[in-house]
Amino acid sequence: MILAIIFFPLIASIITGLCNKILSIKIASIICTTSVVISALISAFVFYRVGICGEVIHIKIIEWLNVGGIHADFAMYIDQLTSIMLITVTFISSAVHIYSVGYMCDDENVPRFMSFLSLFTTFMLLLVTSDNFLQLFFGWEGVGLCSYLLIGFWYKKDSANFASIKAFVVNRVGDLAFIVGIIFIYSYFGSLEFAYIFGKVPALAEQKTQVFGHNFYVIEIICFLLFIGCMGKSAQIGLHVWLPDAMEGPTPVSALIHAATMVTAGIFLLARCSYLFEYAASILGFIIIIGSITCLFSAVIAITQNDIKRIIAYSTCSQLGYMFLACGLSTYEAGIFHLYTHAYFKAALFLAAGSVIHATHEQDITKIGGLRKFMPITYVLFWIGSLAIMGIFPFSGYFSKDLILSSAYLSGTFAGDFAYKCGIMAAFCTAIYSVKIIVKVFHGKQSEKIHHIPKESPIIMNVPLIFLAAGSIFAGLIGKNILDITTPITGFFKASVFTKEFKLGSHTPFSVEIMPTIVAITGMLIGYIAFSTNISSTISKLFRPLYKLITNKFYFDEIYNYIFIKQNDQLSQKMNFIDNKVIDFCGPVIVTIISYNSAKKISSIHNGLINFYAFTIAIGTVASLSILVYKYVL
Amino acid sequence: MAIFFYLFSSLMILSSIGVITSRNPVYCVLWLIFTFLNSSAIFIQLGAEFIAMTIIIVYVGAVAVLFLFVVMMLNINLAEIKSQLLGNRIVGACLMFVLIIDFILIVKSALSSNSTISIFHNQASGKLSNTHSIGAILYTDYIIVFQLSGLVLLLAMVGCIVLTVRKREGVEKQNAHKQIARTIEESIEIIKVKTRVGVNGINYK
Amino acid sequence: MESIISNVTLEHYVILSCCLFSIGMCGLLLNKGNVINILMSIELMLLAANINFVAFSSYYNELTGQIASIIILAIAAAEAAIGLAIIVNFYRACGTISIEKINKLKG
Repeated sequence: MILAIIFFPLIASIITGLCNKILSIKIASIICTTSVVISALISAFVFYRVGICGEVIHIKIIEWLNVGGIHADFAMYIDQLTSIMLITVTFISSAVHIYSVGYMCDDENVPRFMSFLSLFTTFMLLLVTSDNFLQLFFGWEGVGLCSYLLIGFWYKKDSANFASIKAFVVNRVGDLAFIVGIIFIYSYFGSLEFAYIFGKVPALAEQKTQVFGHNFYVIEIICFLLFIGCMGKSAQIGLHVWLPDAMEGPTPVSALIHAATMVTAGIFLLARCSYLFEYAASILGFIIIIGSITCLFSAVIAITQNDIKRIIAYSTCSQLGYMFLACGLSTYEAGIFHLYTHAYFKAALFLAAGSVIHATHEQDITKIGGLRKFMPITYVLFWIGSLAIMGIFPFSGYFSKDLILSSAYLSGTFAGDFAYKCGIMAAFCTAIYSVKIIVKVFHGKQSEKIHHIPKESPIIMNVPLIFLAAGSIFAGLIGKNILDITTPITGFFKASVFTKEFKLGSHTPFSVEIMPTIVAITGMLIGYIAFSTNISSTISKLFRPLYKLITNKFYFDEIYNYIFIKQNDQLSQKMNFIDNKVIDFCGPVIVTIISYNSAKKISSIHNGLINFYAFTIAIGTVASLSILVYKYVL
Repeated sequence: MAIFFYLFSSLMILSSIGVITSRNPVYCVLWLIFTFLNSSAIFIQLGAEFIAMTIIIVYVGAVAVLFLFVVMMLNINLAEIKSQLLGNRIVGACLMFVLIIDFILIVKSALSSNSTISIFHNQASGKLSNTHSIGAILYTDYIIVFQLSGLVLLLAMVGCIVLTVRKREGVEKQNAHKQIARTIEESIEIIKVKTRVGVNGINYK
Repeated sequence: MESIISNVTLEHYVILSCCLFSIGMCGLLLNKGNVINILMSIELMLLAANINFVAFSSYYNELTGQIASIIILAIAAAEAAIGLAIIVNFYRACGTISIEKINKLKG
């Protein structure tokens, strides 16, 4: 029955995918949604068994590879970390499935959409329930593939196609590092299974090796490469360029993939390999730096964006920075807790934005306004999500964010201090941009650009939203108090994440505890005032160059274009020339020319004269006769 | 007895050289006939008189006569020896030389080793004539070969006719089947003639 | 004299047949530009084969050779007939039977 968690969505996806044109929209939606909901219920049951009762489930499904020394199975390994991820993935996925039944109601390609959503769910579940690196990588690649398919779902739009390819290629860069990391793991540990590797890590902690002439610790190299993979998948700075463009896909896709599940695969990998990362202290420091830079950087960009989905996308990027920050500080529990709460409120925000888009068919917030009267439920849900992301007590974001920032403060290292400062500033910016959306979309006077009256979304779209909003409210409380997530080692995650030295001993001072809330409230007020009036546009005109820099995303895309894409273009043109004119010429063309000309010459032997033919026959006969005579008679 | 062999064989060689070197094609055919006659004499020497007579009847009486018909029917210009094929001719002559040497070598080596053939199926008996003995085995042991050669001759006959038959233009022939298979619709057309109008202006099909 | 006019053995007949064959081949290769000549040379070669068969049949007292000879006769006749029919056809089509003009099989 536990296998049904993975296989129900898979079968539903295959059925809907193959019978794409045959099934009606209703039946396809019902098949996929029911399968995912069943999967969610079973994972709730598993969560009870594993998370609360504390047992670990390990089921081997089928043996996959047994070549050389590599041994990998398809297996389901569910410990506490996996169980919480299962809950997150399946519940958010069911919510998105139900929501998209309403959202995509006027699209004719719904069965394909549902199939891809379920396929994505399957791959994500394979990823989180894996017990070896190979299956994890298989799920990793699978979710990348589904992301590509879903971003480019409306394939008739050019921008969607470009965005999906960009997402896939940037992911690939990370995957390359991941693969090299796996190869390193195999060559030093001799196996790809988690249990074996994690047991052997202390033995290899001191081993060094030579790379490009410098000495490095083996564990550090491995962790560095794995982290690059995480950077690609979770859109950290440097490899984050695909996330804003990924908003070309439908809004349910953004909610599921780019808010709650796929981008969190990186954090999951970090937490799962916590046994490895704990022995690579410098890499942990590196992770902290990267995480905090991303956090601040995306939050700042989000302030100046004007597209609803893009603001929320950068917000996701920023919150992911928080999670990486937490993992870098060795408080993996805090990171996963923030992942869990973030999934709820980010998905709620995205789906609420989807309601707005569905009602007004417009994504630019400067063009819409005053929706408060027409869509009250959406307005309330948006506020709930925003308060959760800002970290106001008692919404769920408060607990997780507070925990992360406290650990950053208490860590005492340079990286921790830097992370604390970045985190506080990012919290400030978070409040600003969250309020920006609310003010611009829901307050203010109604825009004249929208001609029809926006209606509230149908009930089928609002029910999942309400469920997610409830999650954003209560998930934090449940996590901290009931599940005891935040207590390390003896708390919720018993042996699934590992911390080498238990750093947090002292109590956090009250000023540090209250700081995020103060910062958030300040930001909220400032943002409200700035965006309701004209102060925001005045500021943007005053600091025009800085504003331009930030609005253009710090010109990351342009820089990458210049460094990589242009060189690639030139190289590929040269290669094209070589391929067409040189290789093709030496190959088929030359053969054609030679065979044609020689055939022409040879066929001139057939001059049609019987004389000549008879002559040739005679020569042949006499020659063979002479040979025989020479051989046998003489 | 040997003298006859040498006589006829030398005549045969000479006449075959005459076949290939005569200018006039009719002369060529006549030399060919002479060759056949000489060969028939050789056959008689070998004791195969039926074969000899058959050669004269079939080769001379039918094939050579056919050659003569065709030679005289076609307007063959007396051809000159083409000098541009001189290179060809030299190679051809060498080829022949080699061929003859080969043959002589083979014959010398094969027949001097005194190997005997072990199957002595159909013995030629001194009491029966050649015709009798051939007839005894041709229609019994070699019946299939006989029938097949008959088929080949039939094929040749049919082939010749097919190759050379010509349709003459302007000759009307009757096809009885077509004539019998006429229908009313293609033969008769009944037209109502209007009164006081007459048969002028009627469109016949 | 006696050595020259010796007993006629099988060798003599076979050499005669070989000479006749080579003369026929000569006629085939060193022809005078006539197709009729070629056909006649072919008849010569068949005759040479005939003599060969009958000689062996006679010297080994085996009648199969003579049967073969009869068959060869029939085949030669058939082949001459068809060859001549083709030539007649070709003459009708092209007006000449010079070898160099018969090159329709050129390719």
